[in-house]
Amino acid sequence: MIDISGLIGTIMNNPVNIPLLYVIYEFLLKIPVLGGIVAFLLDFSILGMPVVRYIIGFVLWKPFFTLIIIPGFATLGTMLLVLPWLERKLVARMQWRVGPREIEPHTRGSIQLLADTLRFLCQEVIIHKDAHKHYFLQFPFLYFIPVLLPLLFINAGAVGHPLVPIETPYALQIMIGLISLMPVFIIGVAWASNNRFSFIGAVREAFMYFAYEIPFIISVLAMIVLYGTSNTAEVVSGVNQSTWLHWGIILNPFAALTFFIATAMATARLPFDIPEADQEVAFGPFVEYTGIVFGLAYIMAYEKAYVLAAIMTMLFFGGGSGPVIPYLGELSYGIWFVVKTLIILLVLVNLRGVYPRYRIDQALSIGWGAMLTLALFALVWSVVIGVII
Amino acid sequence: MENPNEHIDFLESGPLAPLKKWSAKWSLWPCHFITSCCGVELAHAFACGYDGERLGTLNLGISRQSNFIIVEGTITRKMARALQFVYGQMPDPKYVNVIGACGERGGIFWNSYNITHPSDIVPVDFFVPGCPVTPESLLRGVRALQDKIMGVDKKTIEFKKVELPFEEKLEERMVPTSPKIYAPTPEIKVDVKRVVDWDFGKELEHTLRKELKGLFESVTITGKDRIAIRTTPENLIEVARKLKGQMNFDHVKSVNVIQVPHERKFIVEYVTSSYGIEELMTVLVTIYTEIGIKNPKIPSLTSVWESANYSERELHEFFGVWFEGNDWMGRKFVLAPDTPDLPLRKEYKIPEERYVFEKDVEPEFMVPIEPPKDLYTPIWEEFVETAPASDEIVVPIGPHHPGSGHLRVTFRIKGDRIVDALPEPGFVHRSMEKLAENKLYIQNVPLFERLAINDPASMNLAYVRTLENALDVEVPERAKYLRTILSELSRIEAFYYDAGIFSLFFGHTTGFMYCMAIREMIIEPLVHISGSRSGPSFIVPGGLRRDISDDVLGMIDNITFAIHKRAKKFESIFVNNPVTIARAKGVGVLTKEDAIRCGMVGPFLRASGVNYDIRKVAPYDAYDKVDFEVTTGDDGDCLGRFLGRLEEIRESVKIVKQGVDAVRDIKGPILSEDILGEYKEASSDIKGSFFRVFGNLVLPKGEWTTITEAARGTTLFTINSDGESNVPYRVRVISPSWMNLKGFMEAAKGERYADFWAVYGSFGYFPPEADR
Repeated sequence: MIDISGLIGTIMNNPVNIPLLYVIYEFLLKIPVLGGIVAFLLDFSILGMPVVRYIIGFVLWKPFFTLIIIPGFATLGTMLLVLPWLERKLVARMQWRVGPREIEPHTRGSIQLLADTLRFLCQEVIIHKDAHKHYFLQFPFLYFIPVLLPLLFINAGAVGHPLVPIETPYALQIMIGLISLMPVFIIGVAWASNNRFSFIGAVREAFMYFAYEIPFIISVLAMIVLYGTSNTAEVVSGVNQSTWLHWGIILNPFAALTFFIATAMATARLPFDIPEADQEVAFGPFVEYTGIVFGLAYIMAYEKAYVLAAIMTMLFFGGGSGPVIPYLGELSYGIWFVVKTLIILLVLVNLRGVYPRYRIDQALSIGWGAMLTLALFALVWSVVIGVII
Repeated sequence: MENPNEHIDFLESGPLAPLKKWSAKWSLWPCHFITSCCGVELAHAFACGYDGERLGTLNLGISRQSNFIIVEGTITRKMARALQFVYGQMPDPKYVNVIGACGERGGIFWNSYNITHPSDIVPVDFFVPGCPVTPESLLRGVRALQDKIMGVDKKTIEFKKVELPFEEKLEERMVPTSPKIYAPTPEIKVDVKRVVDWDFGKELEHTLRKELKGLFESVTITGKDRIAIRTTPENLIEVARKLKGQMNFDHVKSVNVIQVPHERKFIVEYVTSSYGIEELMTVLVTIYTEIGIKNPKIPSLTSVWESANYSERELHEFFGVWFEGNDWMGRKFVLAPDTPDLPLRKEYKIPEERYVFEKDVEPEFMVPIEPPKDLYTPIWEEFVETAPASDEIVVPIGPHHPGSGHLRVTFRIKGDRIVDALPEPGFVHRSMEKLAENKLYIQNVPLFERLAINDPASMNLAYVRTLENALDVEVPERAKYLRTILSELSRIEAFYYDAGIFSLFFGHTTGFMYCMAIREMIIEPLVHISGSRSGPSFIVPGGLRRDISDDVLGMIDNITFAIHKRAKKFESIFVNNPVTIARAKGVGVLTKEDAIRCGMVGPFLRASGVNYDIRKVAPYDAYDKVDFEVTTGDDGDCLGRFLGRLEEIRESVKIVKQGVDAVRDIKGPILSEDILGEYKEASSDIKGSFFRVFGNLVLPKGEWTTITEAARGTTLFTINSDGESNVPYRVRVISPSWMNLKGFMEAAKGERYADFWAVYGSFGYFPPEADR
């Protein structure tokens, strides 16, 4: 038999501490009619169990809260809706334009992405006759697995207050392993499309994958060496990144730079927009995709970017550390984490307005040459710094 | 089409219909399918200034990802197939807007043999008129479509016949006769002898006679810098070899065929010139020969001058002349499989053009045209078949591709290297040469301007100069300067367009936007001058249509400063960007020898180290009075070609400034008295006398060839006149992009696949200009 009361006890005893909720609760109780309803709801019970309390408790249960709210799905979903819009607005600004606007002029066209997503959703999905029908449809959805699983290990907390769904000493390794899986699915997508451009795109993706993967792993390794742990909960806590002077980017800027370039390569952002170069191979692997399946592929790059930017925040920018906002309690770490991640993402997406595209051989020589050297140097640097500290 | 709404009915069904319609309304993504010259205005509509993205229309992706086609103007028979394909590939619901007059009823090309009506091919939601359309009206078309999706029924304009109150007066006025060949058997002579003051010419004639002893039938001076050599088909190739070997005539500027049906003959002529010797640079030597109309065969001169290759292919299709030795005989190059055979022969008649509709003639507005039935546009079979054996992959690019205009290029790629590139022009072939034979000389002014609407004044000037040379008209001083200013503004415009496309091909949208912003500023004075953004038709034989006021001159002067500031920003973000330099440096190298061999023209020739600029070599208008330098480079790579043109922009700005300063002090007429005749009161504004002055222009008998430096290089017009008709007997246009196509393909070979776009952008290849 499952020990229900024990389980409930575990859940209820490990909430995210947000003082603001109590303030709101007490404020609500003071309002004449509403207060009564709130009190009734909270006391409402079936079979002696206060259901509403349990539901609230479950939502606030740390592992669940972190997975669903911050830094998990809700944050990711918001990012996906906001980030492409922000990208379009900011790049438009750089280009002396205004970007999407007329759809909702008062909020500067902020719901543009909603319209685009709905349109993709309501569009015909074409499977052309040369495609491998099953793989053609399956791969974009299978692609979700390596993109979403790393969310389990992202820590949005700061010193002493980890906000992480699953704490494990191998978190970083697992995340890197999952991220390394992503190109396999892209190549699968391209192969199932059976198109010349997707073929070229797949080959380019494979080449790029090898070029950035090794410097990427070494740069993470350098940080693991520096911190002496690969547990995401510990990476941002303790002495590791307690003040901004101890942030990874200060201690080892070389690893940070390598990681950032690798992120640009992995998410196919300009100037490394090579596998999906639309002027050259017309979105490469995704050339044949229509409707919502293309929408997924389009949005997937942003999800990947989010995961990588989150890792970057944890490793180099002190995770959720920052001035504590009163009443928000542990949530304030989460907010700082989201803000930092968003800034990294904005820098990443706005590269589009600044750089043209490299050629594949130039990108490969950057990957195997400059970046690998930099990554190895970062590793040595970490060892040296580690000894000094 | 049974149910034109079948592709959008889906939106109306189900409880989610309002949501579906709302999302479709705000997310109209036009696919990147540029079909004709209105694509320039499309670029403006989605660049800064107009910013189509405001409406949620994002120009991203190809047919599969988008739901909206903006058909930009003419759909030729070749492009009609592509249009059908693209429409078929798009997921439902999908919409089509057609912009441009020629997309509706053909516009200026209404009686062309090579166009179709988009409405026969795909269901069209909205037509946007204009030639070219303005970005405002294009976006208004998008808005109208958005309203239509939401169910707001907007009727298009209904035309009503209005009785003109001054009809009586109209009859009194002399209405010019409609274009017509008057003589039933016109005498066509290529070498009409003319006495000119040209000492070097006499010397040259003497040398030619000596060198070609026994090979020629006659050597005639047909004008200043023009010599015609008549020879026999047997001796043609020997003459060519001698000219190239001994006399250093190293390239062909034009190949032309003139059909004379009543004498049952073709006149085949090659216009050659030299880049090697400075004195010969201005000289055009025409070698011509006559062959019978039955089984017309002539040795190809491709083995001597490779630059003649594509022109021979083209003329083979137009006239059926068989150039023995050219490997493309019997194939289609420019035309589509279902285009009428041998369309430029005089036997093939197109609907008659009229200048003014007479009272009792029912106008024939729309020529019924059969839409193409089969969808297959073949690629050269040998090219494809042998590829797998040598471990190569065949990749066709265009015409529907985010990185191509209206051109199809088929590659054979080994690894990442382009082994062979097969160009396929003709997607925008609007048959200007045939149309010109059916229009009055003056009607051809706007026609030839449509060669390159991003370089309108240069094209305009090139044609008008040919008429002026033939009529021996001296342009007044003020008009000369104003024409120089217009032409240089147009040059800047064209170069910035090319620079924008170059940055777009590197994925650098910011550079594209900046360039379009600068173009927008140059277009502004053009709008003030003539009212049209990119089709002013402002230059007419003898001068300009009307005078330009000092305010506009001041505006032009100010704009040269404004450009300077923006150009700095463009340079800092794109030109000096390390990635740009890495991508363009040392790529697509065309050596001096290759450039001359391929017959390159304009800045692309100069980038390879040949100092040839018609503005300096044979100055026209006010170019001999302004101070500027010719930019040459030695590298011949993509970066060199790109930077060379940026340098030329600076020189052009210099010319414009000098021109504006000079023209303020020159007062006087802007139309020549030679052409005005008795209508002297029109010397500062042609309004009101246009018909009478230009309606019945007739060129003297003979052949008139003029070369003009347009933005992208030498534009050559050859007009044959029979001396009595008010239409040209034959017009041959060689546009710069057409001459550059050969070198463009040569430069792309051996480079990496991704480098093709660097090469494409660096050549500024503008397909409407090339296809004519």
